[in-house]
Amino acid sequence: MIFGSENSTLTQYLREVWQGRYFWMSLVRMDLRSRYRGSALGMGWSLLNPIFMTTILCTVFSTLFGQDLHTFAPYVMTGLAVWSYLSQSMTLGCLCFHQSEAYIMQHPSPMAIYPLRVVLGNCFHFGISLCLAILLALWGTGWPGVLPLLSLIPSIGLFLIFGWSLACIFGLMTVHFRDVKHLTEVGMQVLMYLTPVWYPAKLLQERGLGWLVQINPLAPFLELIRSPLLDHTVPPPMVFGSALVVALLSFATAAWSLRVREPKLIFYL
Amino acid sequence: MASVELNNLGLTFTVRHDKHITLKDFLVGRIFRGFTKKPMQVRALSGIDLQVNKGERLGIIGHNGAGKSTLLKVLAGIYQPSEGSRKVQGRISSLFDIALGFEQEANGWENIRFRCYLQGETPAGVDAKLREIAEFSELGDFLNMPVRYYSAGMRVRLAFSIATAIDPEILLVDEVLSAGDLAFQGKAHRRMREMMAKAQIMIMVSHDLEAARGVCNQVLWLEHGTVRMLGPAGQVIDAYQGWAGTAQQRGESNPGGQVVQAAA
Repeated sequence: MIFGSENSTLTQYLREVWQGRYFWMSLVRMDLRSRYRGSALGMGWSLLNPIFMTTILCTVFSTLFGQDLHTFAPYVMTGLAVWSYLSQSMTLGCLCFHQSEAYIMQHPSPMAIYPLRVVLGNCFHFGISLCLAILLALWGTGWPGVLPLLSLIPSIGLFLIFGWSLACIFGLMTVHFRDVKHLTEVGMQVLMYLTPVWYPAKLLQERGLGWLVQINPLAPFLELIRSPLLDHTVPPPMVFGSALVVALLSFATAAWSLRVREPKLIFYL
Repeated sequence: MASVELNNLGLTFTVRHDKHITLKDFLVGRIFRGFTKKPMQVRALSGIDLQVNKGERLGIIGHNGAGKSTLLKVLAGIYQPSEGSRKVQGRISSLFDIALGFEQEANGWENIRFRCYLQGETPAGVDAKLREIAEFSELGDFLNMPVRYYSAGMRVRLAFSIATAIDPEILLVDEVLSAGDLAFQGKAHRRMREMMAKAQIMIMVSHDLEAARGVCNQVLWLEHGTVRMLGPAGQVIDAYQGWAGTAQQRGESNPGGQVVQAAA
């Protein structure tokens, strides 16, 4: 074990996280493997799950509301990809420290690696869904252009930062209040209806509820993916800016709380 | 050059009656102070000064709840001290709670890999050790099975084989490890001796006073989280045995760490 005790400076802390990379990367690999252990299709399920959901929602919406599949199918697929990434970061993040209790008790690794474990696992599924969404968008709306596609790269960076921060914040809250896990699960149900994941955002605007989307901190993240794939444009500066602000604010909150709580965390597990 | 230094180190932690406060407790407690159960503060260690240099073999003795294991965890860097300082130079390897922390669904090989990573190994380092660890554990084909199906003894064997496949600079050991069946125990014992001899510094918590006398050259006697005596092994152990003998005659019980106050 190479981790020292005095993590006073940020760079040293980050170095310790980096030094432990083989450990947390193998945890992520094992999480992925054990999730599908024993199932015949294995990893195929991460591919099939979003396909099934999209098919079902598209069938319902195109028959009930006469949505055009060419635009609607990629719309739903991108929505589901982003939503499941963000909501899983929160719900799975709740348990990130408890799940790793045995390691925390044995080795003084920096705690930041445990939310990282959750988020990197999520990222894998997010990547698969995103690839599917891109394919679907190519079929539905055609080639978006190089620049809009390239804009996805910094966007995914923001997703990573935001996802880690959410997992970390929810994990810390759950350590102190066990109820948070259940509250989060209920909250996710509510939040899902407040976010234009699979219904068209127009529906809200027509009913004068457009502000719901405007104040929703998750909405700019949906736009980050949707603008390039569906509208074939680089996300407007406003969208990128708000996503950046949300990501950085949550990161600052997570990093600060972790710094304050980390030394005492072990006594609450 | 490995060294360990503790300066006036203290550790206080908060224990709640049911470990977790609920959101209700938190909110209601804020409004109606005094309604909720108060958390207790446990003073586990206080005023510990310790200096261990290269070549020293330190034993930690004391009755149950005196803070021995807690001190070891502070030394390992798992618990952060509430006051005072801890300075460690050198790579720490710790041997305690080793049977915990297996990934149940993963098989033996995978578990070997990631536990080695946890101990700070690189992939190349693990590749070099993989065979040796597997051989020492004598688990053979069982290594292809998920750890979930292992018996308690098999788990300890695997954990021990992994944990001891390192060249420690500073070795921290809690109690004597009883690993597996009789034949394996003999082997484990030899391996422990080798490791202890190789390490630049060895610190061990022990109830077996005679073992401590044989292995350690320095002994620290802890009582109620403070240093009662620190010195050459024979001297401290004799004093401890004398004290324990008279305490037994007086029929004294040995309360553990002090609960100092109910925190607000």
